[in-house]
Amino acid sequence: MILDRREFLKTSLSGAAALACWVEIPALARAKGKDELIRRTERPLNYESVRSTFTTRITPVERFYLRNHFDIPQVDVAKWRLQIRGLVEKPLSLSLADLRRMPQATVEAVLQCAGNGRGLFTPRVPGVQWRYGAMGNAEWKGVRLKDILQRAGPKQDAAFVQVQGAERPVMDTTPQFIRAIPLRKAVHPDTLLALEMNGKPLAPNRGLPLRLVVPGWVGDDWMRHLVDIEVRADEPKAFYYDPAYRFPVSPGAPGAAIPADQMKPMTKVNVKSLIGSLEDGQRLRAGTQRIVGVAFSGEAGIDRVELSFDSGKTWTKAALEGPNTPYGFRVFRHAWKAEPGSHEIACRATDTAGLTQPEVPVWNPGGYLHNAIERLRVEVQS
Amino acid sequence: MIRALLAASLLLAAVAWSLDTARADEAKTASAPEDLPDDPARPLVQGKCTLCHTADYITQQRLTEPAWQRTVDKMRKFGTPATDEEAKAMVAYLARNFPADLPPPRSPRAPLPPGSVSRK
Repeated sequence: MILDRREFLKTSLSGAAALACWVEIPALARAKGKDELIRRTERPLNYESVRSTFTTRITPVERFYLRNHFDIPQVDVAKWRLQIRGLVEKPLSLSLADLRRMPQATVEAVLQCAGNGRGLFTPRVPGVQWRYGAMGNAEWKGVRLKDILQRAGPKQDAAFVQVQGAERPVMDTTPQFIRAIPLRKAVHPDTLLALEMNGKPLAPNRGLPLRLVVPGWVGDDWMRHLVDIEVRADEPKAFYYDPAYRFPVSPGAPGAAIPADQMKPMTKVNVKSLIGSLEDGQRLRAGTQRIVGVAFSGEAGIDRVELSFDSGKTWTKAALEGPNTPYGFRVFRHAWKAEPGSHEIACRATDTAGLTQPEVPVWNPGGYLHNAIERLRVEVQS
Repeated sequence: MIRALLAASLLLAAVAWSLDTARADEAKTASAPEDLPDDPARPLVQGKCTLCHTADYITQQRLTEPAWQRTVDKMRKFGTPATDEEAKAMVAYLARNFPADLPPPRSPRAPLPPGSVSRK
């Protein structure tokens, strides 16, 4: 076997790397898995955050989930314009520089896919089979949508704000992704057109150059690569607004079809919590285990997070960390004295409006808003 | 010294080569959760469905035959170029290979795709 020097070095180095993984040097193994996600679909990009992501207040962009209907659009930032049209006194066409010159605001808010937890429903529901990680909390910075709407001047009968981004389906026959929010949410001072996520300009897969941020509301409204805003009197006739992304007005029997007039668009995210420091089926040593996780609710803070170690017979309050924000994650911690045996651990959050997580999720045909109390099993060895 | 380094490098290269070979064999034999199972209707499903999305979108679903029928109907409305006859064969393939009572697959871990983090 004859190798030239460069090839020889390259092979030797890859051998060293393979050997390092093979013997599982902990530091290297961690570094390797750091930016890994769970790939649900390769095209379009649908990647879920791994469970261990959910132990910090802010979710790092490197570990934040990706959800797409279509391929990521190529956006030429220099030529990019945002149109504001429809029921306005003065239609606008703004450049990125125009937006950067306007007053900037910051809001911390959870972005969660409507279908987070879809894979946990019985009977099963078609769609991306998300389990726990189609959510994340970020600090969003940009222009208030209210300020832009004020400049355009909505007319008397304006009631909805329709949004569309630059992405397009592969086939012209596939519906385009169009959404709308009521004007009252659009003019809320926390509703932003964000240019930055966690202190950095939006990356191509995060909505470059501009995305809508609708704090407390489900991710289907958080339009990326935003190019078009239409102020309307009525709701759009668009597949992804009607019939898609709708939730039953009142729960039906699991698996049963629900009449279209009994379905309405989702708004607020419901109260939810997740343990991030443990995996289901994990083996632990007896002794003190530090449990860490996150809790959040749509437009309310978190009042308490309780943990149960005996299949829900008794509940213990976890310690809550940091300030209570209306839209962000709240980290909870608990030091658990783990004794040998098999244990079911459950966590349940209650928000400041008094709403708590249910035992059983509300089954619905889209597999949306799963927020049932989450249970995992650990085996503690002596 | 140089001779010792050379020996160590050769050993590492040999280990890397054997590991790579082992991995390639594994890839050949084990069916990844995102692969469509072999079946006379496989080329049809592969050809029509992967125009817009990868096969992993299909292989992670576990649905009843009526639910597969609704899914194929929806995709045809979206533009899947399939005749009634082809659609029937696709529904049968999907219901046969990804029925509601089959346990769901484990999705693989993968690195964050390029373009997900801002470099600035």
